[in-house]
Amino acid sequence: MAELEVKSDITGTVWKILSKEGDEIQEDDTMIILESMKMEIPLSSTEDGVIKRIVVAEGDAVAEGDLILVLEV
Amino acid sequence: MKFKAQLEELEQQTAAALAMGGEAKLAARREKGVLNARERLDVLLDSDSFFESGMFAKGIRPQVRHKTPADGKIAGYGRIEGREVSVVSNDFTTIGASSSAINGKKIRHIREVATERGMPMIFLGESAGARMPDRMGAPGRAMLGQDPAEYQRRRQTPWVSALLGDCYGSSTWYSCMSDFVVMRKGATMAVASSRVTSIAINQEVDPEELGGWRLHTGTTGMVDIAVDSDEEALKAIRTFLSYLPSSAKEAPPRVEVPEGSDAAAERILEVLPEERNSVYDVREVIRSIVDRDSFFELKARFGKSVSTGLARIDGRSVGVIANNTKFKGGAIDVDAMRKTTSFMVMCDSFNIPIVFLVDQPGFLIGVDGEKRGAPGRIINWMNAISLVSVPRISVIMRKSYGQAYLNMGGGRNSDEVLTWPTADLGFVDPHLGVHMLYGVKKEDDPERFEECLKELQQDSSAWALAELYETHAVIDPRETRSSLKRLLDVHAGDGIVGRHDLSVWPTSY
Repeated sequence: MAELEVKSDITGTVWKILSKEGDEIQEDDTMIILESMKMEIPLSSTEDGVIKRIVVAEGDAVAEGDLILVLEV
Repeated sequence: MKFKAQLEELEQQTAAALAMGGEAKLAARREKGVLNARERLDVLLDSDSFFESGMFAKGIRPQVRHKTPADGKIAGYGRIEGREVSVVSNDFTTIGASSSAINGKKIRHIREVATERGMPMIFLGESAGARMPDRMGAPGRAMLGQDPAEYQRRRQTPWVSALLGDCYGSSTWYSCMSDFVVMRKGATMAVASSRVTSIAINQEVDPEELGGWRLHTGTTGMVDIAVDSDEEALKAIRTFLSYLPSSAKEAPPRVEVPEGSDAAAERILEVLPEERNSVYDVREVIRSIVDRDSFFELKARFGKSVSTGLARIDGRSVGVIANNTKFKGGAIDVDAMRKTTSFMVMCDSFNIPIVFLVDQPGFLIGVDGEKRGAPGRIINWMNAISLVSVPRISVIMRKSYGQAYLNMGGGRNSDEVLTWPTADLGFVDPHLGVHMLYGVKKEDDPERFEECLKELQQDSSAWALAELYETHAVIDPRETRSSLKRLLDVHAGDGIVGRHDLSVWPTSY
């Protein structure tokens, strides 16, 4: 099992967290929705895995490249 | 029997060549579930179509002749779906399929025949790099560079590469010149092996980190797709080639339209959200427009805010370039720019009409993009789109903002522009524009903000664009497929062959 760091690909705020730690995730599943440029931007998984840690809370400001969560893949 | 001894010798020599690097090495591969170089050809090609060239070639130095069957690179001609192809399959069990004078000659011959006779060239990569003892000192230098066109790419015919193991040296170079690259997860592509690199930089190097599938599909963009097995990789090559002509002198083959292909057109309205700030996966839109199951996405993990792929409409091959708001809101970043330009180069070189599906808020601006040369990439793209001579049809679905309007085929950068009534045209969202131009924020001075907004806001609708004849038709989104079919009849006829001004452009940027 390897750890995969999922980072924000855009600067914005965390609008909704749809998953919790321990959830099993499939590739392309939306885990979190960010808000940026007046748009809702989903953060989707690039691989199948299990959410190990979520390091942001709803309302947090995030910059491009900030760590959002860690997946076990 | 007449000539018994000679025929027996042919039999023995053949058996020795087919034994490759020996049973022990072949068994180790079987154990790992990895095909050998000859099994790969069996899976790739139509049955009994392989004609081998150079089975009895061997390493040039006498001391390796006994252990270099076919000199480590198996070459020849075969057929895929009845069409001729040229192929080189690296036999890693034969001293790492290392590049040598003789197997270099084999590649050159096969490549020249592919170009002259108009057939795709396929490289099945797994090689250690240069055969070092052959390359030492000045005499080693003298063996190199004898073919000035060795690394020249003019795209007279399609080239495809599979990365199926450790790929250093020639397997890497040919991938970087190919129009399509598939990688088996677990394979590595790099300039030199992790072992050689570790020794050179005196530091441990992890092969996955040095050149694994995540790096090449997500960060470098040099691999189009990653798959789990050799068999899937070889199948992907057959699929890719089904969209392409055998040479740049021909149009791609037109195939029968699968039943039910028109049925999905209605689904577009389900996929498209009514709220302007909601996003969707544009690949759902693509799938509802193109022939059933025909969308073959390329570089799906790289520059995701633009989705690129081959598909068919009415049995014709098309290249689709679509903004995907699901990623970065559709804002076009540097990776997406690189990917789109190289995709246009491929479509233009092989007579594949291009369809743009437009919904983008502009380029992704920021320090990171500037550091990576965003302006240069934007203009590469513009230069490319202006040189494309295959039909270009643009469909404005929702937003088309900023300079990127032109990159996505706006104005005279397309042969035809279709617009949905949901379109929204402009330079920038007027709410942001007020802040940029007048320095007024809504929360600070709502009255002045509204005043400025009124001044700045212009009609951004599809109708305004249509009045200026900057779009040729405003259509119901559900009529996109039928409109594209009709316009491809007009612009592509029985298949067109373009000028190929982009055929000498590089493959990666």
